[in-house]
Amino acid sequence: MTDYVSPFDPRARGDDPLAPRPDGLAGRRVALLDISKNRGAEFLDHIEQRLRADGASTARFAKPLFSRAAAGDLIERVAIHGDLAVEGLAD
Amino acid sequence: MPAVRAPEFRLPSVGAGEVSLASLTSDGPALVVFVAEECPTSRLALRRLAAVAGELVADGVALACVFEDPLAVAARTARTAGLEATLLSEPPPYATSQAYDLVSVPTAVLVARDGSEVGRVVGWDVAAWDGLLALAAADVGAAPRRLPDDEPRQKPGCGAKSTYDEATMRLDAAASAGSEEIEDLFELGWTDGLPVVPPTRDRVTAMLGGRDGQATLGPVPPGMGEATLERVAACAVLAGCRPAYFPVVLAACEAALDDGFNLNGQAVTTSPPGQLIVVNGPVRETIGLNSGMGALGPGWRANLTIGRALRLLVELTGGGMPGGLDRATLGHAGKVGACIAEAEETSPWEPLSVERGFAPGSSTVTLIAADSPLSISDHRSTTPEQLASCLGWAAASQWSTNWWPLAATSLFVVCPEHARLFADAGWSKLEVRTAIYEAVQRPARELRGFGEVPPETMGADPDAAIHKWSRPADVLLIVAGGEAGRFSAVYGPSLGMGAEVVSREVVT
Repeated sequence: MTDYVSPFDPRARGDDPLAPRPDGLAGRRVALLDISKNRGAEFLDHIEQRLRADGASTARFAKPLFSRAAAGDLIERVAIHGDLAVEGLAD
Repeated sequence: MPAVRAPEFRLPSVGAGEVSLASLTSDGPALVVFVAEECPTSRLALRRLAAVAGELVADGVALACVFEDPLAVAARTARTAGLEATLLSEPPPYATSQAYDLVSVPTAVLVARDGSEVGRVVGWDVAAWDGLLALAAADVGAAPRRLPDDEPRQKPGCGAKSTYDEATMRLDAAASAGSEEIEDLFELGWTDGLPVVPPTRDRVTAMLGGRDGQATLGPVPPGMGEATLERVAACAVLAGCRPAYFPVVLAACEAALDDGFNLNGQAVTTSPPGQLIVVNGPVRETIGLNSGMGALGPGWRANLTIGRALRLLVELTGGGMPGGLDRATLGHAGKVGACIAEAEETSPWEPLSVERGFAPGSSTVTLIAADSPLSISDHRSTTPEQLASCLGWAAASQWSTNWWPLAATSLFVVCPEHARLFADAGWSKLEVRTAIYEAVQRPARELRGFGEVPPETMGADPDAAIHKWSRPADVLLIVAGGEAGRFSAVYGPSLGMGAEVVSREVVT
């Protein structure tokens, strides 16, 4: 085969596999991430109520601008404070 | 007779990473078929196998085709034959074929689950191939599958590539390179949907022009593939750039990767923005960028390919392919690539580059996150106030009809006749920009009756004047286009990205 130079980086992010699903919510700590999209907080309010009714505890986090990737320290705080995370993605 | 152990191999596959013989025989026998694309008997065998491939796999018999061809050729050949199987590719000098003492293709080898070779057929012979399938069926306790009993029932194969010396193969590869390359690059996914120029090592080296190919511009969102200069050059070759364009491509890529531009947001959003490149300075002339008649395209190689090179970097190196990580609901044609140049010689004003702080005579690129352009006809305004109002109000529906203020940049491309009307009245470029900004305002109460209105406008004093743009600086302006015709245009904004306008000097 002709020697082509690839434009791809084999180390680039591809499709990340899904994390293992939890077997229940009771006693779990759920991090709720508001990405600052229109009505995202409203959506998470409802989710938060449902999660608490199912026995989970919750903690709220927010990104300053939805279109920018979450900063490393925010991801770290979500990981520290949550067994699970729910992100309010879009309006 | 003692069992012959089939040589182990581990080869790249189409869509499943590397595949070993051990993995193929882990649950049952494997029928390993050696083929080459240019061999008619190989293609015949693949077409016939296609009729029973699904049944074999369902019975528990692994079916793997080892191509003495690149993966892209393997994928295309199998698809053409209608065959679904594990497709493997072995590169020169064809070590696996040599290990199997291959003389010709096709050769079918049946390997039992203990790794022993239990049967082999060389060439095409329906009865002998059926015999192999019967052995495989017996191993898994299934009914034998039979190949279509069609003519031709027998055909000799073709010489395996592993039997040729390297010099002969090289000559052959050079002679056969051609239109299939374009199709192969589609198979590999090295494209934005249009045919590409194959990025051969020679072409990429010429594009680099002596630069260090391993130097890097940084990670490209959204997938964060590293933009080595070699990959940027590969994208420029794929796009159809000449090496002379590469300094502009590099400057544009650098600007696009500036954190303030927020390419990450633009690359994944459901909204439509592409990355518009505006070029200023002498480099326009040097490389043949069009800023005159038909300045927004098509027809000019430099304009079309430079914009495309940046987009290919985002799509391929960055992984921002529409429908993949790029989630744009509609996108727009400018996302194939958009590179325009300012007609500085026609313009009565200082160029955009000078407005942005560069010395006169500098060659620069300016990146703007941009929606598709809207054409604006005005053949009857006689005063600068009328014309500024017409241009501004044409843009009043940008993004969304009642979304005032925009909080993002709009770029007006003013045609020479319109520019002359302003200049004859003594207006500076800044005065035109300011006049456009000031012309488009409405009281908040007129906007508040609609659904899609910014929260700050909903909460504003009903009599407060709300401008279409948050600030005059969000109205940018360049001059471009043919001498005749009163058609200007405005490139739309990209909201929600916080995308700054970013400029870079072109280093030649």
